[in-house]
Amino acid sequence: MASRVVSFILNGKPVEVIVKPLTTLQRILREQLGYTATKSGCRQGGCGSCTVLVNGQPMMSCLLPVEEIEGQAVTTLEGLTENGQLHPIQEAFFEKFAIQCGYCTPGMIMVSKALLDQNPMPTRNEIIQALTGNYCRCTGYEPIILAIADASRRLNGN
Amino acid sequence: MTAQYYFQPTTSGEAVDLLDKHGPGVLVLAGGTIAMPLINEGISMPEKVLSLRKAGLNTFQHKNGNLAIGSMTSLTQIGKQTEIPMLQEAAQAIGGWAIRNMGTVGGNLFAPPPAGDLAVALLALDAELILAGKGGKRRIAIEDFYTGFLTTDLREGEILEQILLPLPKGKTAYTKFGRRHANTPAVVTVAANILLDGGTVKDARLALNAVGPHPFRAKKAETALIGSTFNTAAIANASILAMGEAQPFTDAVASEWYRRKMVAVIVRRTLEKITGGG
Repeated sequence: MASRVVSFILNGKPVEVIVKPLTTLQRILREQLGYTATKSGCRQGGCGSCTVLVNGQPMMSCLLPVEEIEGQAVTTLEGLTENGQLHPIQEAFFEKFAIQCGYCTPGMIMVSKALLDQNPMPTRNEIIQALTGNYCRCTGYEPIILAIADASRRLNGN
Repeated sequence: MTAQYYFQPTTSGEAVDLLDKHGPGVLVLAGGTIAMPLINEGISMPEKVLSLRKAGLNTFQHKNGNLAIGSMTSLTQIGKQTEIPMLQEAAQAIGGWAIRNMGTVGGNLFAPPPAGDLAVALLALDAELILAGKGGKRRIAIEDFYTGFLTTDLREGEILEQILLPLPKGKTAYTKFGRRHANTPAVVTVAANILLDGGTVKDARLALNAVGPHPFRAKKAETALIGSTFNTAAIANASILAMGEAQPFTDAVASEWYRRKMVAVIVRRTLEKITGGG
């Protein structure tokens, strides 16, 4: 069986890609569609830098064959910025110094987005629990936790 | 060889038919959290892949006093249910959020130690498995499922369709002991299900993982517990017996020596949770 066409919704817009069997969403996003915010880290599902949202739920794009997302809604970091404006979560990460080298940041922000969509006012512990699958080797996590708490306040109008 | 076929059956029957037609060597993919890393590294290079994600096996229902869990039910879903607290705790202790969204109950049963923490809970809960093949379905106890490291009783052409769980009669406790608090491989995982009659142990299930070729029941410890008064001495005795039944290994997480020592400690702590819980 040769390649096939897979259609899905990427950041609100329909896209069609031609894929070989078992190609991961990560590769398609980065190499075929040019959406390079989604990072390629361990490719083992261990680091979280490739996290995207599928129907609003965080998933590791490095472990996800594209065939599985036929007809599904995928959100990447590129989908958060509207009209060139940073998303409140991005602003909070920026202002709270939650970024050093930046490699984990797209995955961190996608998990934060899913968390705040599902739980607009998370406790500190809920924030920590949400982040356990995402590694950061620079910040020590504390600024990221504070940034998410700050983003929660911004999104709730405080 | 890159993959040539990616099958996405929409029913369990169709999956079995495809496996029958395409013969041995088809990689059956559940959540992909174990198989895909090997594929990404080039360690596994399947020509044919059959994904069960759309096969309608994502179910959670009551059936004749049992819980019937479809093999493709996600670990997140199991982590949210509250009917069987030990299963909830076991699911929540696996990976991070994204991994639990992808990983499945059925797939976790095929995870090599030290992974496979859900199976420990399922062993202690006397789960049964429904395996479907071209010749029909069969029902086996999860205890009889594991035959060795990375080997199971699943026959060529069969898929794991459902996990049946009686609602636990005893008191349960679960401990996953790792090097970190979360998203960690286990040094040892212990699941206990103890049925008490007054202060006496009427029935006992004690399952271990990460300290043997597959998740297993520590039967000598179970036998010693049954009929005994559930006190400090009985717990200490069971912990030592379980340590003798373990076949720990050395890996990046822990040494064989450390794992063996921790079996006794974690079995004791797990059983003490049950006494402490009244």
